[in-house]
Amino acid sequence: MVLQKKSEQGYSLQKRLLLAFGILLILFLGLAGFVLDRAFKESVAASVEERLQLQIYALLGVAEPEGEGFFVPDMEEARFSQIDSGLYGFILDSNGRELWRSMSALNFRMRASALVRNALEPGETFFGSLETEEQGPMSYASYGTFWPNQDEEFSFVVMETVAPTAAEISEFQSSLWFWLGGLALLLSLAQYYLLRWGLFPLQRLAEDVARIESGASDALEPNYPTELRAVTDNLNLLIKSERERQSRYRTTLGDLAHSLKTPLAVISGIVQQVSADKPVTSGTIKDVSEQLERMDQIVSYQLKRAVKSNHARILAKPVQIKPVIEKILPALNKVYRDKEVNANTALMENARFFGDEKDLMELCGNLLDNAFKYCRSEISVAVSEQGNRLVLAIDDDGEGIPEQEHKRVLERGARADTLKSGQGIGLAVSMDIISAYGGTIEMGKSALGGASIRVLFEREP
Amino acid sequence: MRLLIIEDEDLLRAQLVKALRDSGYVVDSALDGREGLYLATENEYAAALVDLGLPGIDGIDLIKKLRQAGRSYPVLILTARDNWTDKVEGLDAGADDYVVKPFQIEEIKARLNALLRRAAGFAKPTLDFAHFSLDTGAKKLFANDVEIELTAYEYKVLEYLMLHPGQVISKTELTEHLYEQDYDRDSNVMEVFIRRLRQKLDPDENLKPIATIRGQGYRFKLPANNGPAKKV
Repeated sequence: MVLQKKSEQGYSLQKRLLLAFGILLILFLGLAGFVLDRAFKESVAASVEERLQLQIYALLGVAEPEGEGFFVPDMEEARFSQIDSGLYGFILDSNGRELWRSMSALNFRMRASALVRNALEPGETFFGSLETEEQGPMSYASYGTFWPNQDEEFSFVVMETVAPTAAEISEFQSSLWFWLGGLALLLSLAQYYLLRWGLFPLQRLAEDVARIESGASDALEPNYPTELRAVTDNLNLLIKSERERQSRYRTTLGDLAHSLKTPLAVISGIVQQVSADKPVTSGTIKDVSEQLERMDQIVSYQLKRAVKSNHARILAKPVQIKPVIEKILPALNKVYRDKEVNANTALMENARFFGDEKDLMELCGNLLDNAFKYCRSEISVAVSEQGNRLVLAIDDDGEGIPEQEHKRVLERGARADTLKSGQGIGLAVSMDIISAYGGTIEMGKSALGGASIRVLFEREP
Repeated sequence: MRLLIIEDEDLLRAQLVKALRDSGYVVDSALDGREGLYLATENEYAAALVDLGLPGIDGIDLIKKLRQAGRSYPVLILTARDNWTDKVEGLDAGADDYVVKPFQIEEIKARLNALLRRAAGFAKPTLDFAHFSLDTGAKKLFANDVEIELTAYEYKVLEYLMLHPGQVISKTELTEHLYEQDYDRDSNVMEVFIRRLRQKLDPDENLKPIATIRGQGYRFKLPANNGPAKKV
């Protein structure tokens, strides 16, 4: 098991999450700041307009036409009377001629007519802004009106310097961005520590796996969060099965070497006898070929065992049984064509075997081959799945297996050298597969008259 | 009977060729998939023995291509891979039987015999016509359970005719299935074999089991007791 280097995997999970959250945070706070800033500016502008309108109404309330001009007595708003106070008032006639200006505007050189839009209906207010030489940027409101008993229409204009509101806005902005910045910093820190905390089990897992690699530990610790439990549990099973496989390889190799030595010893004994005095007889040839057959059987058996998948229940995926049996039957029918075997099937649709398809093929192939071999003319195959129970039943109408033989056949050890010459290895391999998947096998007398074999697998719920 | 053996292992191929020639077959052999497929599709064989692990073209592919090319003669797989996934794949591809290595030559002969017999439509290892019975295992002919002595070539000619009852078999076809390629085919030795067979089978000339079809060849006229009455 080799862990990939971090650099080959691109960004770490923590980096990915931090980057994504960071971008999200900036976008979110930026947008919030922008919206708040805009809302504040709009509300300030609205309040400026309202103030200007109120000043116009105040002016309207006190202004009296007098001859060619207007008389405006002292007003409540003192800023109209102080020079350069920042608040200025003008009254103009419909030709743009200035009829009155407040004391505060005495220093202004600009012509008030610039402040009046031509087509201002009586009762209509126009708001605008302009740049003045004396006071910089200003906001103004002009209001069209007419006086009872006079033909003339007039414009009342009030103008106020922008400086105080600009200062207010900039103060708001700086405090807004200061707090948003602070919030961003705080959230980033919180997010960093939360991620570290949240992803800590993964880091622990990596360290755990490294410990197993170095041999310091046998299995992953059990106390992982639920989300990782499925992975760690399966990993533990995989590690266990890998260890089992290694030990099985060792055992198999040992078995193979030991079990081959006996026939080798027999053959070498025969050869020595022959070379000494006796000539080769048909008896010696028979002895040698018996031993050769035995060796062949041992090798075949161990080969089959080695090919057999060792994953068994780990990472088991469901395999449909019906198609597998439907593949094997025509093949066997071909091989045993002379017997004209009548194979009855009762294969439940969607009955599944949880494991490797090759193991299933091997198991069914061996059992069905035996049935075809030993039957007279009829076999039956039934597969059914009920809940977690899978039953594979194979019957034939042959001689059957004598009851006293059942135990011996079923208990036949896993060691190849216990196989006697002439015994088929199919059943031994089937037994291996069944036990690898935690299944059981039963033997009995079939209703057809011959052997009945039932294989049962129970899956953990 | 002309057989094809496709096997890349030199010693094993030589052993098989020798053993099968000794049992009276005419044998062609190829040592890789490409040459094997060429021979298998160019000629009509009685049967082919195909190793699965071949260089060039894999045995399974070879059998598939052979069947696609319309060749239907029996194919016996020789394989070292003794698992059901491979066996089923091979039989599914169009093979008729398999033998797992290492094998006894006797087993190959028995399987081959059964395949040839089945291909001709006979279910039993003896071919029965009227009171004649040809034992393909022992390679002996009986008339009313009394053995009629035949030479190896006479047996081969009779077996070939009996495996194709009712069919007209040309002299060339008989020669091809009786002799290796380099044999001189111009001899009238086939006529001699047929004449001798007629004398041994039907000395009284009542049955006339082997008919001569002028300009075409020979035909075994008797209907089979246990096989196809008429082969189409």
